[in-house]
Amino acid sequence: MSEPINPDKYDPIDLGAALERIGGDASFLIELLDIYFREYTEKRRLLEEAIARQDFGEVSELGHSLKGASANLSLTRLHKAALSLEMAGRERKIHQVQEAADVLENEIANLKTYLEMHPLAGSV
Amino acid sequence: MKILIAEDDPISSKILQKNLENWDYDTVLARNGAAAWQALQDENLRLAILDWMMPGMDGVEVCRKIRRRRRFKYTYIILLSAKDRKQDIIAGLSSGADDYMTKPVNFLELRARLKAGRRIIDLEDKLLLAQKQLKDIASRDSLTRIWNRAEITKFLGEELERGQREKKAVGVIMLDVDHFKSINDFYGHAIGDQALLQVVSRLKKKVRKSDKIGRYGGDEIIIVLPNCGLPDIRKIGERLRLAVTNRGISAKPDTIPITISAGCATSDLWEMADTDKLVKAADLALLSAKEQGRNRVVVAGEDLDLRKENRNVRTH
Repeated sequence: MSEPINPDKYDPIDLGAALERIGGDASFLIELLDIYFREYTEKRRLLEEAIARQDFGEVSELGHSLKGASANLSLTRLHKAALSLEMAGRERKIHQVQEAADVLENEIANLKTYLEMHPLAGSV
Repeated sequence: MKILIAEDDPISSKILQKNLENWDYDTVLARNGAAAWQALQDENLRLAILDWMMPGMDGVEVCRKIRRRRRFKYTYIILLSAKDRKQDIIAGLSSGADDYMTKPVNFLELRARLKAGRRIIDLEDKLLLAQKQLKDIASRDSLTRIWNRAEITKFLGEELERGQREKKAVGVIMLDVDHFKSINDFYGHAIGDQALLQVVSRLKKKVRKSDKIGRYGGDEIIIVLPNCGLPDIRKIGERLRLAVTNRGISAKPDTIPITISAGCATSDLWEMADTDKLVKAADLALLSAKEQGRNRVVVAGEDLDLRKENRNVRTH
């Protein structure tokens, strides 16, 4: 899979690509993002537990799963953060794992802000 | 067409479902390998999209299980994975997947690939249909379309086995058209064929659904009657005889009077009946009916003492 050259300069979501994947249905995208946030909350809890007991396998799996979900919704920056988490987990580096988890949390906040400023309902 | 989406990630699953439903597929969802395998027990589920990474049994394992099963229609499998290294693709296809796509899925591509899958399924369906038609042709008599000798003998064997298990008798009626050779000689074979077809059609109307009619050879017709023992077979034989003989066969301007002779035998005559014994006994009874003047029903064991019959019956 080709990684964006510098995802930092992208919006948290590539709306065009995300909508194209679901036939341009903005209300469906809202529904999917809702699921995404709920999934994230659940995974965040599991991630903190996994970090606490240094379960790198679980960290890596959670990263992998978040990476997939982010890619599906074209959440470019979250995708990158989840990939870092997966890699850090695989390399069993607790410091990097913690760092990636923090970036992930920031990116979630970024996405929420972005969505508040760019309401999807009006984009159809 | 029904399609399985086996995907543990709810977002991915929902996006797939939405697209597939837009393309008029009926979707069946599974969240893990075990549920996917369960869903795939439905033989009408011919298309499957399996995610490689699933909790418990993964997509590759489901693929292997599908390919190991026999006597199932073909299931076309597309494996999905984030893995895009050459060896992953090779491993995925080697497990029995027909196709492989990396995530996130490009939906235009998926749609095209599904069409390719449907072509394979259509081809298999056509092949199965042709096979069925060929089997049917090979099992039936070409003139009358009733079962041929090999098939009816096989059916009799199966029914005898079942009868033994269920403690039920099986009856056999062997019958032929009286003076059939004269009809052929006098009116020609085309009329002879018509007469035989008429006889078969009249017999068919009078047998039960569970009975089977076959052509044993020449004008000899055999009827296998599951769950039919000595007290009943005579009644059935008589009913069939009357059904055939009550009106003639039209060969314009003539009407040919037609009669049949029938020999009946039932498996309850023996402790252990077999196909040979039954057919031979019915054949002997038919021979006896002919000798007694034709147009009659002779029942082995009642009208004919098989112990006294040691002559060889015709071997066809």
